[in-house]
Amino acid sequence: MAASSMRTTVLSFGRSNGHCLGNYAFSLLGIRAPYSTALSTNNAKGFPDRASRMPRRARREPGEARTEKMADNQDWTAVYPAAAVFKPSAVPLPVRMGYPVKRGVPPQKNGNLELMKIPNFLHLTPAAIKKHCEALKPFCTEWPAGLDSDAACEKHFPIKVENKEFVSAGTSLRNPKARVVTLTVKLSSLNLDEHARKKMVKLVGDRYCKETDTLTIITDCCPVRQQNYDYTMYLLTVLYHESWKTEAWEAEKTREDMEEYHWEGSTSQKNVLDTLLRMRAASEGEEDPGAVREELLGQPTVQEYKDSVTRLKNEGETEEGMLQYREAVKKLLNI
Amino acid sequence: MATPIVMVGRNVGAFANTVLRTSSVLLNVDVCGIKGRHVIFSQECRLQRPAAFHTACVLRTAPAITVTDEPDMLYQRIEVQVKGHDKTVLDSYEFFATVAAKELGIDIGKVYEPPKNIERLTLLKSVHIFKKHRVQYEMRTHYRCIELSRITGSTAQVYLEYIQRNLPEGVAMEITKAAIERVPEHIQNPMWDGIPNKDKASQ
Repeated sequence: MAASSMRTTVLSFGRSNGHCLGNYAFSLLGIRAPYSTALSTNNAKGFPDRASRMPRRARREPGEARTEKMADNQDWTAVYPAAAVFKPSAVPLPVRMGYPVKRGVPPQKNGNLELMKIPNFLHLTPAAIKKHCEALKPFCTEWPAGLDSDAACEKHFPIKVENKEFVSAGTSLRNPKARVVTLTVKLSSLNLDEHARKKMVKLVGDRYCKETDTLTIITDCCPVRQQNYDYTMYLLTVLYHESWKTEAWEAEKTREDMEEYHWEGSTSQKNVLDTLLRMRAASEGEEDPGAVREELLGQPTVQEYKDSVTRLKNEGETEEGMLQYREAVKKLLNI
Repeated sequence: MATPIVMVGRNVGAFANTVLRTSSVLLNVDVCGIKGRHVIFSQECRLQRPAAFHTACVLRTAPAITVTDEPDMLYQRIEVQVKGHDKTVLDSYEFFATVAAKELGIDIGKVYEPPKNIERLTLLKSVHIFKKHRVQYEMRTHYRCIELSRITGSTAQVYLEYIQRNLPEGVAMEITKAAIERVPEHIQNPMWDGIPNKDKASQ
């Protein structure tokens, strides 16, 4: 309160005298003006100490804008060699950006914050891109000419390894999804025999897709992507070699464990034999059961019936399958 | 195929050197985070300013391109997805990426724009009470996808690094790489060529 009252008295004193006291009055009263007041002379900054020590630099007028001196055939890559803020004096385009005021147009480019905020691609004109690529060309390699189709790639390089990489700005460079590795391979491209293939399918379970015959292994248990890749290759190796092994307990495989339907030894075969035997017995007398069985099974009608039943069981019920079954049954029972 | 396919890799240790010389934006960028072998270049470039880049691609010293015998990686498909808040910035970036790919001789598969995602929030306008007066914000994320097909490891490294260094501020990128490999030697034949049970007993 006291200081403010003193300040007002000083001000009135200055005005009444008709000339400014300058900083002397303030240094006398021990008041520091935080901003320029009526008493200060050419002290734009308002710091009394600095003005007495440093002479004030004369303000330079901005020169001619670079846009005036630009030629039509200049090299633009010299003006913007790298990513930089939009400089209205360096870009010769009459660009306007911003929300127009009432009955107006968007503001001009000079002093336009919107143009400065947005990332510009002035340093990546086609000419600049061509120059960059010319410099980068020696480090590129050609794709092998023999692998120009997906089928050729699949044939020679059956294993496919997928991973992701992330680029973003944030407090951390890491992204936990970057360490996931997915390995895809078709079982037909591996050296497996029938038993090994069936065992492999049983070992992997859900990871095998029957329609596309692909095995997919996804790992993210290790913290580093290289480790995850090594682990997938290790899993593939172990699965491969284990599936070639035949354990003692595999001999106990029952009909329920089988992947496909086999007609030999099934109830369908038994039923067919029974039916045919009864048909035979109605017309003829007793014969050797073993020979009769072989003879009955060898008939073409029985073979057709076997094919149709196997097809229905393995592929599911389709129009063609049902028709084939119908025909086979009709022939078998002489309808 | 009768002819064996041999891949030759290129040591791209000098790549960063060239890129740093060709675009001076990297003068103040700390390249330590990207790869170990690029660390030394962050000090070199501060000493040698790329003053004459625009006149011709004349480098101060000849780039040391070393060709190694290490087989090159093969990528069947590389998908680059960029996302940002401004669609026009992504448009410009897509133009840049496609022109760069064409210049480097990379096959571009598909370039498409997945639909944008808008996340909306409804918050209370006032600090205290006034439950009926709310304010709503939304965050729009636009996407752009560029698929490249059949590209070698060296080319991929060069192209992706070039793309990533020129990624504008406020734009994020996600890259999905699908590499193809041969079946390794240890999987080509089962190791129990003899009697499996005997091998198991010996182990």
